[in-house]
Amino acid sequence: MGSHLRPTRRQFLQTAGAAVAVPYVITSSALGQNGVPPASDRIVMGGIGIGNMGNGDQDAFLSRPDVQYVAVCDVRAGVREAAKGKVDKRYNNTDCQAYNDFRELLSRPDIDAVHVATPDHWHAIMVIEACRQGKDVYCQKPETRTLREGPLMVEAARRYARVVSGGSQRVLDDYRGIVDKCWGGVLGAIKSINVNVGPLSQPCNLPAEPVPPDMDWDMWLGPAPWAPYNSKRCDGNYGTSGNSWRSYVDYSGGGMTDWGAHHFGGATFAVDVREQQPEEVIYHEHQGQPYLSFRYPDGLLIHHNRPHSENLAVEVLPGEERPAKPVPSYKGTGGIYGDFLECVKTRERPFRDIELAVNTVMISHLGIIAYTLQRSLKWDASKQEFPDDAEANRFLDRARREPWQL
Amino acid sequence: MNLDTLDQAFEALKTYDWGADGSALQPLDEAVVATRADAAARQALEKRLAETLTTGISRDAKDVVCRLLMVIGTAASVPALASLLADAELAHMARYALERIPAPEAAAAMRAALPQLSGLLRVGVIGSLGVRRDVESVPALAALLDDPDPAVACAAAVALGAIRTPDAAAALAGSSVSHAEVRRATTDASLACAESLLAGGQRAEALAIYRRFAGEDQPKHVKLAATRGILACAGQSQ
Repeated sequence: MGSHLRPTRRQFLQTAGAAVAVPYVITSSALGQNGVPPASDRIVMGGIGIGNMGNGDQDAFLSRPDVQYVAVCDVRAGVREAAKGKVDKRYNNTDCQAYNDFRELLSRPDIDAVHVATPDHWHAIMVIEACRQGKDVYCQKPETRTLREGPLMVEAARRYARVVSGGSQRVLDDYRGIVDKCWGGVLGAIKSINVNVGPLSQPCNLPAEPVPPDMDWDMWLGPAPWAPYNSKRCDGNYGTSGNSWRSYVDYSGGGMTDWGAHHFGGATFAVDVREQQPEEVIYHEHQGQPYLSFRYPDGLLIHHNRPHSENLAVEVLPGEERPAKPVPSYKGTGGIYGDFLECVKTRERPFRDIELAVNTVMISHLGIIAYTLQRSLKWDASKQEFPDDAEANRFLDRARREPWQL
Repeated sequence: MNLDTLDQAFEALKTYDWGADGSALQPLDEAVVATRADAAARQALEKRLAETLTTGISRDAKDVVCRLLMVIGTAASVPALASLLADAELAHMARYALERIPAPEAAAAMRAALPQLSGLLRVGVIGSLGVRRDVESVPALAALLDDPDPAVACAAAVALGAIRTPDAAAALAGSSVSHAEVRRATTDASLACAESLLAGGQRAEALAIYRRFAGEDQPKHVKLAATRGILACAGQSQ
């Protein structure tokens, strides 16, 4: 269907219903009772990448009475069929459609919002395409794989006024103690905060194994360099030591981005620099061990793996006060998922708005580049580049395998 | 930099393939860092790496070399890399280096390759020229907006949307595509150009673009984007 002919969701449902069959029985679920919105008022959702984290995200959205879950997409047939089965069981029908290619799911005009939980090298392409198709998006963390991707994702969200939420629930849920102390003014003015996280991802040279018959390997690789299938290369487990895609540079920044999205997210939230980006990365060595300090425009420092420093340990500026401010929180009910859905309805920006998420993950990317080059870096947030630093600017992005582009 | 171990790494490269011990190539990574302040040594390293691309080493070994040339490559490496742009197995990794090499010769080589390529390989080069925001490729990209291959036409539109110059905007405005995917790509690229023009103070040009996409025939989110753009051009709150 041409996009200029796009009907409203209600029109689509009416048309689709007429084309398929006239139901003999209109269920109470369809009409909406007992606090459940009628089907036409629910947020119509689909999920892309339904493996480990995607499975959990699907459960969360599927359990919501204000969601009508209609489509799943995964490059593993077994995974997507299982995900479809879960949806069909929930609604007691066989309506959920299963796709191998995310573009088919995104082209459906009846879908309002999608959640994305593929490996990281796919996130930007899918989020941006979803925005171009008029969808709201909940994207798992870490939201980006390169520095260039972040501003393009924010731009797409803003261009089409889409609600795009990042996916770290820990930013608010796990670090509440230090967040409350900082925002409550109990600690006074903050000088620095430390984040302990790692490791960095590594190159992968695993040998070829037979591609499982139910897997579209080329689609799994997508924009990443071609490589032969190996089960450890693409396993979705949460490890970063060689047995999962989170271990390898083509798909992930390793623990530095995977847990970094949580820890740096908590740190930037606690010290209230979520809306900023650092202007310098300072490379240190202590007894042969490198560590970093990210310096923000007002002088505040976020250290990374500072020796003898606990995760989220805060240094204060003696004698300087910080006025108490109310701590931002989720909207709606149901944690970060409920926050996203509430914002889909109200068109507000979610707690983990994509711009804030990008500002977090870019810290990890800056850090990876500093560790790789083994030196300090300046960063120009307005130009999104390393000023007068051609060597570092090479790391802003990486060429995508055809036909994928940003 | 230990030249013996570097020699051993180049030797290991000759038989390197998927599943081989990656540590054998570690001296190549170390040489990249060690030669940072030694222009002659860096030049020699680059020359040696580029030369391997014309030998019979494996796809995996050339993958490694392209990754290194992404970091240290200069105009000197461009001919060896450009020679891979027509190779379906190696073209992406050639672009992996060429896209990030700041020397203008890298973009020129990709522009020169464009007419010789078709299908996915052409799509890939178009994408890389867009990422480089290569203004000199605008005329060639404009001509591809009407390409019968929708993938090529889409790629050209996305690339022009990345370049975002007035010429790129004019090229997009002049296209009359009917393919739904190409139209969506052209719309998005046009809106990107409008944002850039508005940010650069060219309100009238931006407004003309926004007005094209504010009609009832547009998808709701596109119409919303255009309407917000029109308000921004008028200096009103979005």
